[in-house]
Amino acid sequence: MSVTSHLREPLVTGGNPKLADITDAVIKPMQSKPNKLWWLAFIPAAILFVAGFTTMGYQISEGIGTWGLNKTVGWGWDITNFVWWVGIGHAGTAISAILFLFRQRWRTAINRSAEAMTILAVICAAIFPVIHMGRPWFGWWWFAPLPNMRGPLWVNFRSPLLWDFFAISTYFSISCVFWYFGLLPDIATFRDRTNKKVKKIIYGVLSFGWSGSNRDWSHYEIVYGILAGLAAPLVLSVHTIVSMDFATSVIPGWHTTIFPPYFVAGALFSGFAMVMTLLIISRKTQNMEHLITINHIDNMAKVVLATGMLVGLAYFTEFLIGWYSGSNYEGFIFFSSRMKGPYAWAYWIMISCNVISPQIFWFRRFRRNLPLVFVMTIFVNIGMWFERFVIIVTSLNRDYLPSSWSMYSPTWVEMLEYGGTLGFFFTFYLLFVRFLPSIAIAEVKSVAAYAQREEHAASIEEAQHV
Amino acid sequence: MSSAVATHGHEEIAKQTRELFVGIFTEEHQLMSVAKDATDNGHPVHDCYTPYPVHGLDDALGWKRSWIPYASFCFGLFGLSLAVGLQVHSQYVDFVPFWRGWPIIIGGKPFLSWPAFIPVFFELTVLCTGHLTVLTYLIYRRLYPGAKVKVHIDGVTDDRFAIALDPEGEGFDEDQARALFAKHGCTEILTVEGRV
Repeated sequence: MSVTSHLREPLVTGGNPKLADITDAVIKPMQSKPNKLWWLAFIPAAILFVAGFTTMGYQISEGIGTWGLNKTVGWGWDITNFVWWVGIGHAGTAISAILFLFRQRWRTAINRSAEAMTILAVICAAIFPVIHMGRPWFGWWWFAPLPNMRGPLWVNFRSPLLWDFFAISTYFSISCVFWYFGLLPDIATFRDRTNKKVKKIIYGVLSFGWSGSNRDWSHYEIVYGILAGLAAPLVLSVHTIVSMDFATSVIPGWHTTIFPPYFVAGALFSGFAMVMTLLIISRKTQNMEHLITINHIDNMAKVVLATGMLVGLAYFTEFLIGWYSGSNYEGFIFFSSRMKGPYAWAYWIMISCNVISPQIFWFRRFRRNLPLVFVMTIFVNIGMWFERFVIIVTSLNRDYLPSSWSMYSPTWVEMLEYGGTLGFFFTFYLLFVRFLPSIAIAEVKSVAAYAQREEHAASIEEAQHV
Repeated sequence: MSSAVATHGHEEIAKQTRELFVGIFTEEHQLMSVAKDATDNGHPVHDCYTPYPVHGLDDALGWKRSWIPYASFCFGLFGLSLAVGLQVHSQYVDFVPFWRGWPIIIGGKPFLSWPAFIPVFFELTVLCTGHLTVLTYLIYRRLYPGAKVKVHIDGVTDDRFAIALDPEGEGFDEDQARALFAKHGCTEILTVEGRV
């Protein structure tokens, strides 16, 4: 007999698959040759990756003058891309740590790929401040004292830019550990399943000698919990600190106390959208529709709706304070410069993609319409990119002194560098789904077994009644 | 599965390895009940092997909760002290001999403007706790790149559940163990050589 909950959607669909079937489904892409669709995605991504990184080399040898920045607008696409990528990374940690702590068992099918996405997105993000330095080899001085004649001149620990360095590097390294720690049992599963000798050796080394021993599992679960407990506040701290890069300045449009929660909500909003963009494609192309179910998409669409409305509320609050504070500068930025100024088109793209269009997710029918959800996730990511562009450029290009007002537009170098990070992201994501288990096998098994456990309990109960 | 390796010239290896008496099960609940039964009746349980963490198995085996969180707390304190030391030293006073700080006034703020140091307090605490906790776990469980699998039982990383009894342990009786395994629906009984 089977037991169905009236309250909860099944976590794994397709009639209670056996444990071995779950292993088969997840490791299949690792054992077979990539299909045409994979190459179709991989080749353009790799080309873009190489082109973008070559451009970065050109920019570093020529100088920042190859960008469109000027004295008034000192941050442009670089910091926009930085904040956008960091934000995308946030969903991975939110799914793997925050949903873990809240015992949201539906996370098991999607956390692995979301964590991989986090790591890649943070690398893409970190590239921009590094190349913006112009001389990246001086990056050491972000944390080491500057050598000079008098003594060690330390960095300024009161600056949010320095906090950001500590936040991003902690976030990156903890994300890597969290991801790989979760991978250990699954790499061992593949090591034991594959027949290829070379693969057995490589995955044998990577599996750290994992044997499935309960002595290992017993501590493993505790350590995983600790990592989740650390990563959850960490992810909130990271975007809080990113927002302080702006909020602690005196630039109208940046100088707002709403920024930390507003940025965190925006980060989750764009991150969940990117997770959905990737998963809608990979569940289809890798035949994992019974593991990454339509219920997962539905749940994530709800998160997008909720965080999107939080972002909308933050936009509204900025306007309210712009009016209520009576500050001329604040009022000018929000009511004149952003809504009607030279970059008004970017502002209205932001509003329509982030606030207006996600409202369709109120309807279950639309949350379960895959092509529609896919298009919406792209909209959200466009909208969130423009949000950062609007915050940065519209605030800078109209500063306190009208004589220094100026316009900013990116050069081909900036565009290609942004493309290069997109190429990097997709190249390595595609490699990840080919060479590592893209779904947390052990965790999905434990939720599949959850259903079987209920079934077993019910059958005992039935036997007692008879 | 394999016979004893205590052949001539291999005494050294033989000391570290041991034959384990292993029962294989296909269902999680079978393993739970056999683990509880074996523990309650004094069979020397060496370990269990499962494809995913089975909740409640530690209780069934009568094992204590992990001590690692206590270590993590200490690592957290270490990370926090590191952050306090780094910032107070470099921004306020150079208290480390031969490694001078250089306090400078920035934005008219006091040297010890500690609220501004909180983000780095937090980040370094998390950094140290996370890394050192995982490192402690890996060292304690002897898991490292290229480590040999201590006890290899076919299928336990896939869909089988195993319980291993220690034949050299106190209270081991092969006939009773066979009966115990059979009672809980064991599908296969093996002797597996394991490095203990």
